[in-house]
Amino acid sequence: MENKDISQIALQRIKESGIKPISKNIFSLKRVIFWSLVGFSIVVGAVSFSVIISLLFNNDWYLYQKFGLNFIVKTIPYFWFVFLAVFTILGDYYYRKTFLGYRHRTITIVCVYIVITIVAGSTLNIIGTGKIIEESLRDHVPMYRGFIFDKDEFWSHPENGLLSGKIIGIKENLIQIIDSNGIIWIIDIDSAFVGGRAQIKIGETIKIIGDIDENNIFTVEQVRPWIGNKNNIMR
Amino acid sequence: MVNHEYCINKTDNELVELSLDNPDHFLCLIRRYESKLLYYIMRISKLSREDAGDILQDVFVKVYYNLNEFDKDLKFSSWIYRITHNQTVSEIRKKVVRPTIPFEKEDIDRFEDAFNIEKEIDNSFDKEKIDEALSKLDKKYREVLVLRFLDEKDYVEISDILKKPISTVGNLILRGKKLFKEEYEKLNGK
Repeated sequence: MENKDISQIALQRIKESGIKPISKNIFSLKRVIFWSLVGFSIVVGAVSFSVIISLLFNNDWYLYQKFGLNFIVKTIPYFWFVFLAVFTILGDYYYRKTFLGYRHRTITIVCVYIVITIVAGSTLNIIGTGKIIEESLRDHVPMYRGFIFDKDEFWSHPENGLLSGKIIGIKENLIQIIDSNGIIWIIDIDSAFVGGRAQIKIGETIKIIGDIDENNIFTVEQVRPWIGNKNNIMR
Repeated sequence: MVNHEYCINKTDNELVELSLDNPDHFLCLIRRYESKLLYYIMRISKLSREDAGDILQDVFVKVYYNLNEFDKDLKFSSWIYRITHNQTVSEIRKKVVRPTIPFEKEDIDRFEDAFNIEKEIDNSFDKEKIDEALSKLDKKYREVLVLRFLDEKDYVEISDILKKPISTVGNLILRGKKLFKEEYEKLNGK
């Protein structure tokens, strides 16, 4: 083929086949879609981060002394960390598909994504979004409970010295609580340490650390606030 | 048909706009790139001139079909090189490659200057060695060296053509130069 013919033959093909340029709107739409996906990845990442810090802030770290590192390992919100990692990868992938997105290195994109996620996620956590989302999932998505540390179940083992329930009566140093199985316990908190923001008043849900003896008497060491919904204790 | 004199003072971007209204203007645009792109296809694919010409025809049709995708924030040359690169890569998977890399005398001079290679008296001997040394390199290094030293593209343009980060392009060129020099020296028995 002669060099000089190539352009002319191509133009002839264009004319004969009646080829028309694809509409500009299609390309604009494609760009909007990829930017939207980048935005969506950032929003999901920020929400995941806000849930992570909400869960970590409200974790019962003090139990490390009683149960050791194994307890800490069990309570880490792996599900949300995986979610955050997946959306960080997707954010990078979608950003690269945007116009000129390929010019930046993965490390740069990921660092910027992480900074945005931390700032937006912390803001969401301050306004309580992380906690609301986590509790809604716990209450309305049964499958979700399978992926996270089940705090309700963990605090329903009096035989291990872990009890929780709603205060239904108070008389001097004795408080009456009802646990998630509907069992009513009378507890003497006279010599107990009442920690954190725990309030001894009717309607409050509390966590109790102590010991149970062979006569089913529960000796209280610490009383802690529940923090968050306790969905299977009667409201 | 559009007059050649009419096109000569128009920029690529102006010709793109005009081509959208009248495909005859498109001829002016593609003629500007025809020979550069034909050589580029032959350099990265080792295809014959005929096969490269067939690919280039398809490239031009594709460019026209996607003309509205072109964004003025990018150089038109980068965009058309990118389409050419992608089309060539996809075509060479299907075709049997014939061993010819076209080098002009200026190409060899440019390569020798860029790599501080000692010039041979017999230019055809240089061509063979450059060709062989380039052929031995991994595709990713060959691509950037061809764009940088034969097509004289800068880092940003290469980044836009290959859709790779600018820093990656820099690293590939640096490493590619080193590897090329090693291969070339091996061929010279050094």
